[in-house]
Amino acid sequence: MIVSVISAIFILVGIVFFAGAAIGIIRFPDFYTRTHAAGKGDTLSSLLVITGFALYQLNGFESFSEDWPILLVILKLLGVSIFILFTSPTATHALMDAGWEECSKPKIKEGRPNHLGDDSDQF
Amino acid sequence: MIFAFDFIILIFMVVAAIISLKVKDLLSASMIFGIYGFLICLLWAEMGAVDVAFTEAAVGAGVSTVLLIATVYNTKRKSSD
Amino acid sequence: MLSKVFATIAVVITGGLLLFGVYDFPSFGDPNSPPNAGAEGGGESVSQYFITHTYKDTKVPNLVTAVLADYRGYDTMFETVVVFAAGIAIFCIMRVVGNANDPRQKKEREGMHSFTYGDHNRIIIGTTCRVIVPIIQLFGLYVIAHGHYSPGGGFQGGVLLGASFILLALSSDLNSALKRFSEYNYFKLAAVGILIYAGFGLTSQFLGENFLDYGVLQPLLFTDGPEMARSHSMLGVEIGVAFTVMAIMFSIYANLASQGTLKDGL
Repeated sequence: MIVSVISAIFILVGIVFFAGAAIGIIRFPDFYTRTHAAGKGDTLSSLLVITGFALYQLNGFESFSEDWPILLVILKLLGVSIFILFTSPTATHALMDAGWEECSKPKIKEGRPNHLGDDSDQF
Repeated sequence: MIFAFDFIILIFMVVAAIISLKVKDLLSASMIFGIYGFLICLLWAEMGAVDVAFTEAAVGAGVSTVLLIATVYNTKRKSSD
Repeated sequence: MLSKVFATIAVVITGGLLLFGVYDFPSFGDPNSPPNAGAEGGGESVSQYFITHTYKDTKVPNLVTAVLADYRGYDTMFETVVVFAAGIAIFCIMRVVGNANDPRQKKEREGMHSFTYGDHNRIIIGTTCRVIVPIIQLFGLYVIAHGHYSPGGGFQGGVLLGASFILLALSSDLNSALKRFSEYNYFKLAAVGILIYAGFGLTSQFLGENFLDYGVLQPLLFTDGPEMARSHSMLGVEIGVAFTVMAIMFSIYANLASQGTLKDGL
């Protein structure tokens, strides 16, 4: 019972972050901030949702000798979450790198300092 | 089978198919085609055909999108119709 | 404009014919339809036959794999041949061999950067892909070998293995992927895959049974009975399918990405 509640909390928080990522993709002004929202929100929410699923599997767990297949399912789910933890930020990085190579211009407010450094003359 | 879930996926599939035919930018069209493949995969997994869904996830959403993008990269990006 | 009108008419006619064709089908999940209840007159239905006999006949819990590789083995063999033919067709259309005057060989690509592991910009992508590729290949092997017990099989595992090489080619460059899996090797592997499949069929034919009737391979595979012989032969056949699919996936990518020159990819 308590495990169900904890896993439900995990999944709900993950869904909230998913919604944040989706809103960020629509509402942010330029390419880099949108990719940032997608990468951060997507990674965290996927991790939370999958961890919630893994915790939910613990529900029927009573004795190790009978219920050990549940541990295998949890192990696989944790493996998926570790895979996402490594690949999703890398995919975001690759996307942003490709945008930088294609000279996608970041949106900077007038009069604000430009921290792009020496590379800023490529635009 | 959950009817509401099926219905939403089918509506998204029809929308994705029409958009991927209508859009002029071929890169966007191939990305939306990948989304279409992923939705089919989701529908099959939900209907219980896990083997077919697995194949579709690997081929339809993964490899075929890469092949289409490789083709778009080597030809031109704007559709002529 | 006129072509669009004709295309619309053709699509509407084809769709109408398809809808007319499915009009007589039994509705989804109908317990009295012939596939579920059997033919009229009380014969055993096909679905019922597979559900009740597959585990007894082949000792394979995953019915889909058993139907695909054993009961419908002939069909799957020619699916593999279709994949092979697609790879050969792409090769014949795209591949440019050794003509220095060909304009496609000379074409300069604007804005291309060399993707190498040493390049400081690509170090994150390169390192992650170097870690991820072996995991994907291990998972592909698991999918092939475990296809009898869980969803999976030759096609899925082969696509995963091919995708791992495509990921290598995307993250570094096409040449470093071709260094590991050259053109000579992948076409050889594709042909070997089909030969493995057809070899299982022909061997069972030489031993006096039908083509692809694996039960008779029992003395060659040193198994307990014809059931386990069928199970093990299915594994061999899946390995052949995986070889062909993996090689052809990578060959199609290599030819499409480099316009057939196999020099520099995406």
